[in-house]
Amino acid sequence: MKSLSLAVVLFVFIAVGCAHAPHGASSPAPSTATSQPQPILVASNSDEVPPTPPKATVKSPETPVKSEKGSLDNDASLDYTEEVKEEEKVTIADPIEPFNRAMFQFNDKLYFWLLKPVAQGYKVVVPEDARVSVKNFFSNLGFPIRFLSCLLQADFICAATEVGRFTVNTVWGIGGLMDPASSKDLNLQKQDVDLGQTLGVWGVGHGFYIVWPVIGPSSPRDSFEIVGEYFLYPVSYVSPWYAWFGVRGLEEVNRTSLSIGDYEALKEAAIDPYVALRDAYVQYRWKKVKMKRGAQMEELAPGGVRMER
Amino acid sequence: MKRLFVGLSILMLFLISLPVYAGAPLDAVKINADQVLDILRDPKLKAASAKEMKKDKLRAVYVNMFDEVELSRRSLGMKWNKLNTAQRQEFVKLFEQVLEKAYADRILSYTNEKIEFTKESMISGNLAEVRTKVITASKEIPIYYRVILKGGTWKVYDVTIENVSLVQNYRTQFNDILAKNTPEQLLEILRKKVKAQ
Repeated sequence: MKSLSLAVVLFVFIAVGCAHAPHGASSPAPSTATSQPQPILVASNSDEVPPTPPKATVKSPETPVKSEKGSLDNDASLDYTEEVKEEEKVTIADPIEPFNRAMFQFNDKLYFWLLKPVAQGYKVVVPEDARVSVKNFFSNLGFPIRFLSCLLQADFICAATEVGRFTVNTVWGIGGLMDPASSKDLNLQKQDVDLGQTLGVWGVGHGFYIVWPVIGPSSPRDSFEIVGEYFLYPVSYVSPWYAWFGVRGLEEVNRTSLSIGDYEALKEAAIDPYVALRDAYVQYRWKKVKMKRGAQMEELAPGGVRMER
Repeated sequence: MKRLFVGLSILMLFLISLPVYAGAPLDAVKINADQVLDILRDPKLKAASAKEMKKDKLRAVYVNMFDEVELSRRSLGMKWNKLNTAQRQEFVKLFEQVLEKAYADRILSYTNEKIEFTKESMISGNLAEVRTKVITASKEIPIYYRVILKGGTWKVYDVTIENVSLVQNYRTQFNDILAKNTPEQLLEILRKKVKAQ
């Protein structure tokens, strides 16, 4: 009996030890992270190993700055060589570019002339906490669409999380104004799913790029989300039409008030804002589909060590 | 004797591999990010008149944190090879100014945001990705840094905000422009943009 319990204790000890080790390696603690690059460097190119411990180089800001000037000429003369493995190209066909550019201009003016001024006024009157609550409320109403998307993706953990969130936030979160479900204790995070993404997970491609007036960047595939919202987003059932318009307007103004400056920054940084927005849209949607299509695809392993060749 | 020799050579191996510690990519990003936060929160620089001073300090951090040539090269992709060395050097300078003008004010507007470092992963021997989250009152923004090891330091060559890679975004734009224009015309477009800002 004694030896059995000893064996059990030993087993538990070993099992815990084993299960714990990889978890610790992927934890954000920098001390564990320091040890990660070592084996790779040894394996790949030991002759290019830095002679000094670089901690010191990182800490002193002056030294690398000086050497930068000199190395710029040498460095700039190096040609670019394609690294096939590293990044996949994400592009979208744009056969109706003239129409899209016109719609882009329309949406741009809509933002700067109407949405932004209204949102700025609203921001002055309504404190941030209240605006976050309004955002939570509308987000909670998006439950049916997210739930259906989870089911159609056959991701039942995702579906269960959404049901849990909806219940908790509706009952204890005062009809969704608060978000107790995503607190540390419950940890039911909002699932980042939609119907266009679901089609993407099934293998449906974008088709081509469309900029809808008011709604913005989309594609035939992602436009299914608009159709889905029409049927499954409770706000769509608000009538008469001016009440619906008011509620949707509040939602948009509230959302904008929390992200004033984002669009401006994107536009300011862009050389060609239309192309920049199109590319941002495609990259964003692509990652969203990829994330769901299987973490094993190109995603880096949790341990972070992936050898080349 | 033989055993001692083997033991010694094993010990030597350990000793030789010690300097290989390249200072984790995560640490390299974190040190610079912390410096940015320090500048933003410095009570001595609170006054509106200190804005230029803040920008100068941010620029120093930027130079230390980013590999601007690598960033430029990857933003142009294969088209980089069509520029001669002088053009490349001017491109690097102009591109840096475009980025600074676009993002300096944006960064200066942040004050009480928190940066959380979530993960570090190696892509290959000298490339790594550092994942961070910027936490504001209303949302969490995932920001990933791609870093490259050059001359003993890890430097940032790409930033991915909300799954949108900066380098890829610019590459699409530059490719679009260079499909119809010469490198000289691209530089002219950039010069105009820098002047207009």
